[in-house]
Amino acid sequence: MAEAHRPAYSLKRRLLLALLAALAVVWLATAAYTYFDARHEINELLDAHLAQSASLIVAQVGHDLEEIELEHAPSGHEHARRVAFQIWERGTILRLHSANAPQARLSRRDDGYSSAVLDGRTWRVFSTWDARRRILVQVGERDETRREIAAGIAANLLAPLLVALPVLGLFVWLSIGRALRPLGRLGREVQARKADNFGALAALDAPDEVAPLVRSLNALFERVGRLVENERRFTADAAHELRTPLAALKTQAQVAQGASDDAARRHALENVIAGCDRATRLVEQLLTLARLDPDHAGRPAQALELAGLARQVLADLAPAALGRNVDIELAAGEGVSIMGHPELIAILLRNLVDNAVRYSPAGATVRVAVAPGVDGARVSVTDEGRGIAPEQRAKLGQRFYRIVGSGESGSGLGLSIVRRIAEIHAAKLAFDEPENGRGLRVTVAFQPRRAGEEGGEVKHPLRAR
Amino acid sequence: MRLLVVEDDPLLGDGMKAGLEQAGFAADWVRDGMAAELALKTGSHAAVLLDLGLPRLAGLELLQRMRSRGNKTPVLIVTARDAVEDRIKGLDGGADDYVVKPFDLHELAARLRALIRRSAGEAAPVLRVGQVDLDPSVHRARFNGKPVELPPREFALLHALMLSAGRVLTREQLSERLYAWGEEVESNAIDVHVHHLRRKLAPQLIRTVRGVGYLMPRRQDG
Repeated sequence: MAEAHRPAYSLKRRLLLALLAALAVVWLATAAYTYFDARHEINELLDAHLAQSASLIVAQVGHDLEEIELEHAPSGHEHARRVAFQIWERGTILRLHSANAPQARLSRRDDGYSSAVLDGRTWRVFSTWDARRRILVQVGERDETRREIAAGIAANLLAPLLVALPVLGLFVWLSIGRALRPLGRLGREVQARKADNFGALAALDAPDEVAPLVRSLNALFERVGRLVENERRFTADAAHELRTPLAALKTQAQVAQGASDDAARRHALENVIAGCDRATRLVEQLLTLARLDPDHAGRPAQALELAGLARQVLADLAPAALGRNVDIELAAGEGVSIMGHPELIAILLRNLVDNAVRYSPAGATVRVAVAPGVDGARVSVTDEGRGIAPEQRAKLGQRFYRIVGSGESGSGLGLSIVRRIAEIHAAKLAFDEPENGRGLRVTVAFQPRRAGEEGGEVKHPLRAR
Repeated sequence: MRLLVVEDDPLLGDGMKAGLEQAGFAADWVRDGMAAELALKTGSHAAVLLDLGLPRLAGLELLQRMRSRGNKTPVLIVTARDAVEDRIKGLDGGADDYVVKPFDLHELAARLRALIRRSAGEAAPVLRVGQVDLDPSVHRARFNGKPVELPPREFALLHALMLSAGRVLTREQLSERLYAWGEEVESNAIDVHVHHLRRKLAPQLIRTVRGVGYLMPRRQDG
């Protein structure tokens, strides 16, 4: 339940943000790389220019230093203005320099490239020493110029991103929305459904990603529909079956009310009580049957020793049987075990033995046998009652089917419960005559336990139907 | 009035029989379709209460066989099947009325009285022949407007004679209509009841047809 209260997130928004973020990161990384790469290239290029400028100046200086105009200002290119030069005679006397050059030497070095900081500014300097004329030419350039060029190149790369991101975002948003439209339609279709509509969803245009969801939903609808149909039929059957006991109760109560003599009234009241007992039993059986489904669906089966379980059940039932003058006999081979739910198998045994006792005449014996069979384990319950004609045996275990003229007012549910439990355990239920031809024998044949099995053997009740 | 109750449920059948007897009917109770068919062939019942989910022979099948034999006895279906289609099938299958369980015993008795009245060609709930008025619903008889106390058997005998007014009923027919199976019936019981009725009402009210039976003339001229 806590899951359901988590703030919902939008798949669309998530996808959009992820895509745009990834795009921005990749683009920024490209820009950063470009910036550093550009700086490197610019450095090489401008260093070459510095060297070239220095050689030009050396060549220009000629024989007479005076020929060179003082305060010569280079042309007005914005980057070029930051190039400065100094000509030092014998390396110590500043003979000539550009207007923007400081008075101090640009670099201590006499030869090659170097970096220097003057008045808080970083300069890139190329120095060359003309040994013949004993002059030092230094050409320097402000480092920030180089940074600005590289930053400019990177900025030019970044600028389109600002436009591209919103445009891309819009496209992504629209196309995701378009792609997710079948989901929305599916959602609306499911939402608009009536609670009793278990038909398949008609999502013919569902894309590959949504189709499994539609298929699972349809499978779920079918399962739930079948379950609901079962429940509905069960409820209808149950309500129907309660009508006769209720009619009996009401009639007997009215008879008691209108009775003129005590004996008739007492007889009617006794019947009211018997009717209540019968209705109670019917309700109990109905509840047992109804609970067989959801309760045990998820529970794992366990290894069960049948003889012990049968002994326990028979011990519970024996007093009632002896009260009807019916003997109970158990012939159980020890060590016969199956995989199953103990409570369910106990209910199965109780119902079978209870039925056998009910339909046995006084003085009869009900025989319960537990034996290892060729195909697993067998439990059989044999009575000495009137037996059941072969053509009626097929109907045994159908809900509310009662054998006529038995004189017993059973609920008609006992064998339905047995059949259901057998189904859950993938066991086979068979009815036949015992060898002496008297009475009825009910045999439950359980499947063999496979080696190393610890559960999961039990069929899912929903699918066992 | 003798009824046939066809109901397989032991507690309900027992209750219906007892309750209908309290209401002044005689009731035979059978528990399956075959027994009911046998009873219908031999007995003479004023009406049949028929359960549908019957062993051996289903209620509707029994009804159909009965009608195809020309048996016109009124049939009241008493069943747990409450669906409209079931009611339609029952009524179209030859039943005269349809009651869904659980029912009220008094209502059941009233419906039976109505069915029996109708089958005798009467519409008024109070029968009147000559100076005799008979109200089966409250078990009251009047002669010349004055109430007359009648025990159940005498009342039932008078009821049977009035329903068949103008026709002769044999002693056998009368005892069949008055007594359920298994009831002790003295051989001259009908004669004794007729004697009492004549004494309490009027001697010439019930005529004897020697060697045949009794009759209540439509027009009383005595």
